[in-house]
Amino acid sequence: MRLRLFGLLLGLLGFVSALSAQGQKLLVVIEDESDKSKYSQFWSGLQDRGFQLSYRSPKDTTLSLFLHGEPAYSHLLLLPTKSKGFGPSLTPNLIVDFVNGGSNVLLALSAEQGIPSAVSSLLLELDISLPPDRNSLVVDHFNYDTQSAGEGHDVLLLPSPSTNTKKGIKNFFSVDGLIAFPHAVGQVLGNASPLLASVLKAPSTAYTYNPKDDSSEGLEDVFATGAQLNLVSAFQARNSARFTVLGSSEALEDKWFDASVSLPGKTATGQKTANKAFAHALSAWTFKELGVLRVNSVTHHLAEDTRAGITNSTAVSAAPGDVNPEIYRIKNRVHYSISLSEYAGTHWIPFTPPAGDEVQLEFSMLSPFHRLNLTPSPDQSHPNNATTYSADFVLPDQHGIFNFFLEHRRPFYTNVEEKRTVSVRQFAHDEWPRSFVISAAFPWIGGIWITVAGWVGFVALWVYSKPEAARRELKVGGAGKR
Amino acid sequence: MFFQGETGRNTRGLLRLIILCTIAAAAVASRLFSVIRFESIIHEFDPWFNFRATKYLVQHGFYPFWDWFDDRTWHPLGRVTGGTLYPGLMVTSGAIYHLLRFLTFPVDIRNICVLLAPAFSGLTAFATYLLTSEMSDSPSAGLLAACFMGITPGYISRSVAGSYDNEAIAIFLLVYTFYLWIKAVKVGSIMWGALTALFYGYMVSAWGGYVFITNLIPLHAFVLICMGRFSPRLYVSYTTWYALGTLASMQIPFVGFLPIRSSDHMAALGIFGLIQLVAFAEYIRGQLPSKQFQVLLRAMVLVVFAVAFGGLVLLTVSGTIAPWSGRFYSLWDTGYAKIHIPIIASVSEHQPTAWPAFFFDLNMLIWLFPAGVYMCFRTLKDEHVFIVIYAVLASYFAGVMVRLMLTLTPIVCVAAAMALSQILDTFLVADTPTSTTPSDTPHANGSTTSNGSTSTTTTASALKDKLTSALPSTLRSTKSPLVGIHSYLSKSLTAGALTAYLLLFVLHCTWVTSNAYSSPSVVLASRLPDGSQHIIDDYREAYQWLRQNTATNAKVMSWWDYGYQIGGMADRPTLVDNNTWNNTHIATVGKAMSSREEVSWPIMRQHEVDYVLVVFGGLLGYSGDDINKFLWMVRIAEGIWPDEVKERDYFTPRGEYRIDDEATPTMRNSLMYKMSYYNYASLFPAGQATDRVRGSRLPSQGPELTTVEEAFTSENWIIRIYKVKGEDNLGRGLGEAVGFGRGNKRKSSGRGKGKGRGARTLRVD
Amino acid sequence: MRLLQYVTAALLPFTALAAKKSSGDRFETYHSKQLSNGGPVKVDDKAYNDLTKTPRDYSVAVLLTALEARFGCNLCNEFQPDWELLAKQWTKGDKQGEGRLVFATLDFLDGKSTFQSLMLQTAPVLLLFPPTTGPNAKPDNVPHRFDFSSGTNTAEPIHAWLTRQLPSIPHPTFVRPINYVRIAVITTAVIGFITLVTVAAPYILPVIQNRNLWAAISLIAVLLFTSGHMFNHIRKVPYVGGDGKGQISYFAGGFQNQFGLETQIVAAMYGILSFATISLALKVPRMTEPRNQQIAVFVWCGVILGMYSFLLSVFRIKNGGYPFWLPPF
Repeated sequence: MRLRLFGLLLGLLGFVSALSAQGQKLLVVIEDESDKSKYSQFWSGLQDRGFQLSYRSPKDTTLSLFLHGEPAYSHLLLLPTKSKGFGPSLTPNLIVDFVNGGSNVLLALSAEQGIPSAVSSLLLELDISLPPDRNSLVVDHFNYDTQSAGEGHDVLLLPSPSTNTKKGIKNFFSVDGLIAFPHAVGQVLGNASPLLASVLKAPSTAYTYNPKDDSSEGLEDVFATGAQLNLVSAFQARNSARFTVLGSSEALEDKWFDASVSLPGKTATGQKTANKAFAHALSAWTFKELGVLRVNSVTHHLAEDTRAGITNSTAVSAAPGDVNPEIYRIKNRVHYSISLSEYAGTHWIPFTPPAGDEVQLEFSMLSPFHRLNLTPSPDQSHPNNATTYSADFVLPDQHGIFNFFLEHRRPFYTNVEEKRTVSVRQFAHDEWPRSFVISAAFPWIGGIWITVAGWVGFVALWVYSKPEAARRELKVGGAGKR
Repeated sequence: MFFQGETGRNTRGLLRLIILCTIAAAAVASRLFSVIRFESIIHEFDPWFNFRATKYLVQHGFYPFWDWFDDRTWHPLGRVTGGTLYPGLMVTSGAIYHLLRFLTFPVDIRNICVLLAPAFSGLTAFATYLLTSEMSDSPSAGLLAACFMGITPGYISRSVAGSYDNEAIAIFLLVYTFYLWIKAVKVGSIMWGALTALFYGYMVSAWGGYVFITNLIPLHAFVLICMGRFSPRLYVSYTTWYALGTLASMQIPFVGFLPIRSSDHMAALGIFGLIQLVAFAEYIRGQLPSKQFQVLLRAMVLVVFAVAFGGLVLLTVSGTIAPWSGRFYSLWDTGYAKIHIPIIASVSEHQPTAWPAFFFDLNMLIWLFPAGVYMCFRTLKDEHVFIVIYAVLASYFAGVMVRLMLTLTPIVCVAAAMALSQILDTFLVADTPTSTTPSDTPHANGSTTSNGSTSTTTTASALKDKLTSALPSTLRSTKSPLVGIHSYLSKSLTAGALTAYLLLFVLHCTWVTSNAYSSPSVVLASRLPDGSQHIIDDYREAYQWLRQNTATNAKVMSWWDYGYQIGGMADRPTLVDNNTWNNTHIATVGKAMSSREEVSWPIMRQHEVDYVLVVFGGLLGYSGDDINKFLWMVRIAEGIWPDEVKERDYFTPRGEYRIDDEATPTMRNSLMYKMSYYNYASLFPAGQATDRVRGSRLPSQGPELTTVEEAFTSENWIIRIYKVKGEDNLGRGLGEAVGFGRGNKRKSSGRGKGKGRGARTLRVD
Repeated sequence: MRLLQYVTAALLPFTALAAKKSSGDRFETYHSKQLSNGGPVKVDDKAYNDLTKTPRDYSVAVLLTALEARFGCNLCNEFQPDWELLAKQWTKGDKQGEGRLVFATLDFLDGKSTFQSLMLQTAPVLLLFPPTTGPNAKPDNVPHRFDFSSGTNTAEPIHAWLTRQLPSIPHPTFVRPINYVRIAVITTAVIGFITLVTVAAPYILPVIQNRNLWAAISLIAVLLFTSGHMFNHIRKVPYVGGDGKGQISYFAGGFQNQFGLETQIVAAMYGILSFATISLALKVPRMTEPRNQQIAVFVWCGVILGMYSFLLSVFRIKNGGYPFWLPPF
């Protein structure tokens, strides 16, 4: 709790420039130093945002992703290589471990160098599949750059992801202007994994094409077409580690940052590309400068004083005062509240879900008994950094071990999973209303007292009446009959 | 001669007291083997729960205990423990604890719990003495009975030091309640009846077996009425007992309204009604002594009784009255439990009893017992009727269920003592009878007159007299007058033989106690070749590991036998335990254990299981392990999911239950099998892995686990604990994740080159 | 799975010749047959194959049974009436045949080849063929097989099973018809018994009030129960067992099991012992003649000693480690 507040104070201070919510150390894997200059603008952009870049070659034997078993870097940027893989220190297993360690990866592909088989097998683990043959690229005969790729039609010009992509999903990647994707590698996302999200789809007229083989069957049996092709796709693991696949590494190069391009059939030529902004957005999201959620505090407590007329004396239970008690009673009225913040590149701001989305709480044992929309309200302690989401509800009439379970998994937002376990006990023996309170019990109570009185009267009668001799004799006779 | 007149009586009284005290001391002493052999520790399974509950009681006080909601068992349902247990035991030891504290003895609650059973066994011996003294007029019978009760293994088996179970105090209460009942019937005073009710209430609070009393006493009353022995004494004692006793029993939350709801208690209620009827009829008969009217009266009573009985049956059928509770019903319909309630049938102590068990538990008493019963018929007073009924019923029950040997033992002791004392009294008389004058036989002939009148019916008395003269109404063996023993030789011979047998009996009891009944199945003992004792302490090792190395509320899934121990020793929440109140929950665990990993894993995740504990005796040859109990898990699961779990799939086509290469795929893929034999082959040279319990060679390469990982295996592999994996971080199936870790490539999902693949699944978002 | 192969193998030759009839009117014919004879259709090999041939838009429940006395299949004969009753009520339940379920019985006599093709060693076997086409069709043509191994010979479990297997069709309820004859018999018997009792009371009463009788009854009961008779009754143990070498062994090895004869021997021993005790306690002291008494005492003591030592020796057979014994045995 205290630490959280401290972190919040840091957040309040604010930073000169953007800074990742996770860490600054960024490893750039680039094959030969000469290519480094190609991306100078991108590097400088990253450095301005406070990242400490370290460039290593995949062939470098001293390179290791881990230090003392922990990830040595918080971010990894993989640029394409000509060889079949990234070498022994960047095997798919190591990269998977790196992601499992919580670090983020930005993987840039290029059809020029071709796709290493190690990379495609790595992506298969994320349920992303790449074209089987290593240099097939995405071609579109309608949205291509007439200036650079007059006949190749392999430099795609796409508008940025539209802001109203889907209800309830926040779009971090919208830039104005066209984005150029030279020699892009199309990815196809699997159906199964809910962790995958597509950032930028190819237009419906695009398809994959392998320039190497001109045999006609390559055309009739294309790998994928249209919107099934993703040029940029994002994967967010359960531990919120992010893995972004960028179809074309050249899109990050300087020459495309400020190139002038023109669509076919358009009169207006010489339009500037928005690659710089898009690269900024993409790297910012991947390296956890955007869309990071934080739970500041979770509290739940009794929202009632114990029921009227019942002294909750003996049983172990929650007093109205105390916060986050271990145990409640069935049909108690409880109040649950959670305070959430979102990281906005430079500082923490109150989190508000995009339109059409809600923060939901489950009160569950084996299966949810309640699923409630939480109502937002500015956080009292620090209003301009956090929102408090809260709900009041009556516990179900079922004793057991329940969970206040808040699971907020949305595309492009880090996962929030808060589970607070409480026991819900039955009514104690002295928490029921007393018998004389219940009007329905009056006849029985009356019956009891009448019986008592009658018995006393009978005893009195018996004691003060002298039995006559004959009777007793008879009784003895009856008794002695054995 | 000594011991005559006043001083004689006093000295006899003193002697009796001393003897009783020595018997009690012997009873306590012979139950301390376990403490001496091992240590002062709580035994097997249920006692651990009782111990835990007692600690809770002592710690939080009585009312919190009364309202106790236990959130560490039956996760995630929890158990309303305060309302679903018999608090008598815990309250007793709690009271003792506080008393000792008050007397400034700072004694640990555990030691009280460990030593409670022996202490009460001393009391039981005393109660048996009282009961027997009511039965026979010979002073030696009571002492003999007390002595038998003190040391007979049938009772020791449940009351050695450390077996802190309900029976520990229940048997004393049983015997004492019966003593009070007999006293009440004899004297016919409200006070004794009320005392009976009081102790009956205590008994109800202590043990579920109180139903035995609830049905035995009415049966006794009923038989007496049928024998025409209704008397105001019977009326007073029964009515008092029933009214007060029922009220007392309804104070226990767990019993609640059962006494007027369930069939187990209907006999008592019915007899209560009947006895009112009969009393009324008797009274009327006293008023108007006319023959026809009395016939009418009798008919009336019969009719009303029949009608009431019919009403009861109707209510039971319509469901207003709960049918017999499963355990109790399975006593009558012996095949019932096996088909309908596998949980009950699966408990080892609910199995029928083979004759060696009888002889093992009550050596020579078992053949003295019928003799004693026979002697009850000599002077068939009301209390003797009770003995006979009790004897027959209890021996039936003991024959059906092993654990009910416990209710048989007291009556066996009493009857045997009566028989033996009869012999001793006849043969240990110093003076020879003067052969001329036949000594007066008070009980031999007194009985004839007494029961001649029992059979008086109004009709055809002449013919009846003929019949009665034909069939002697006394016992054959007691027709001729009692004479006595003449020669000292036969006296000394018999006495000597009997003494020898008694000594043998003592030897037997000591031997059985020390060898069979003194091991706390928590700690196993085995003899090394050189005869020295070797302690196998895997259970406590594993539970200690859980206690030290897991989160305070890490849920542990195991078969229900170990629930109480995990709760008591490891102090971790469990899914199911020995209080088998929720069949479905147990079946869920059974399903998880007996299904494939892919099926079990979601179940375990849903129930938030962190660790799975299995017991495996294959290495040590410890036969009480989970693979041997496995079929019960399958059956219980099949009871709920007959289409998903099928017992037949676990047997080979030839109908054998095998674990080697022949084992069926279902068996080999079941989680239980995998967890039991995981890595087991690595202990042996290749292909040599053998299971010492099943005595069979295991498959060459062992099972692979993907959804759980081994966390702990105890020294002798008796207990193996596995940790349940969470979801894969990258959202893959756990099998695939493990495969990837091993380095085998994942198949591209149908999107390669090449013809003939199915329709492509398009992603929609 | 192998079952599937056999089924399909059995089906193959017939698909050709029966193909002309569509599955729809096949169902109609069998259903009408069912309605007419009010019960399961009796089929032979040919009809069976015709009935269970794919494609079919209805489900078939076939009971393969062996009713002939010489096969000695008790379960078949016990179960047969219930089966017919169930089929009758089910068909009565939906006359229109919305459930599209056909009940058929195939006796071993007319269905040898089917039994062979299904490799059936035991009877009865209840196979349920789900529909392969139509609304509630199952993809594979594997018949579900009811497990008779638990010894069910009543219709209720079958009804429950069918209900489980075919969830989406109407399930007519199964009610056992009241057996009036039985009720009448019982009532008459009860009334007759009561009259008998009332008439014969004077003769019976002294008998049932006789002590010796009751003593005998209760003693026998006690002896039976304490010698483990209930164990035999519940566990259905063999009367005697043979040891490996062809001799019969009277005492089963092991503490936890026993033979029928064994328990009787033990009961006899208990009986003799307690009888001897009784005689010592009650008979002997009533003997007036000293010599006879002397002899009696010797005899009874001897009997007790012998029997007890024999009992101990028997017990040592059951429980190897038992250290105590008495002479002579």
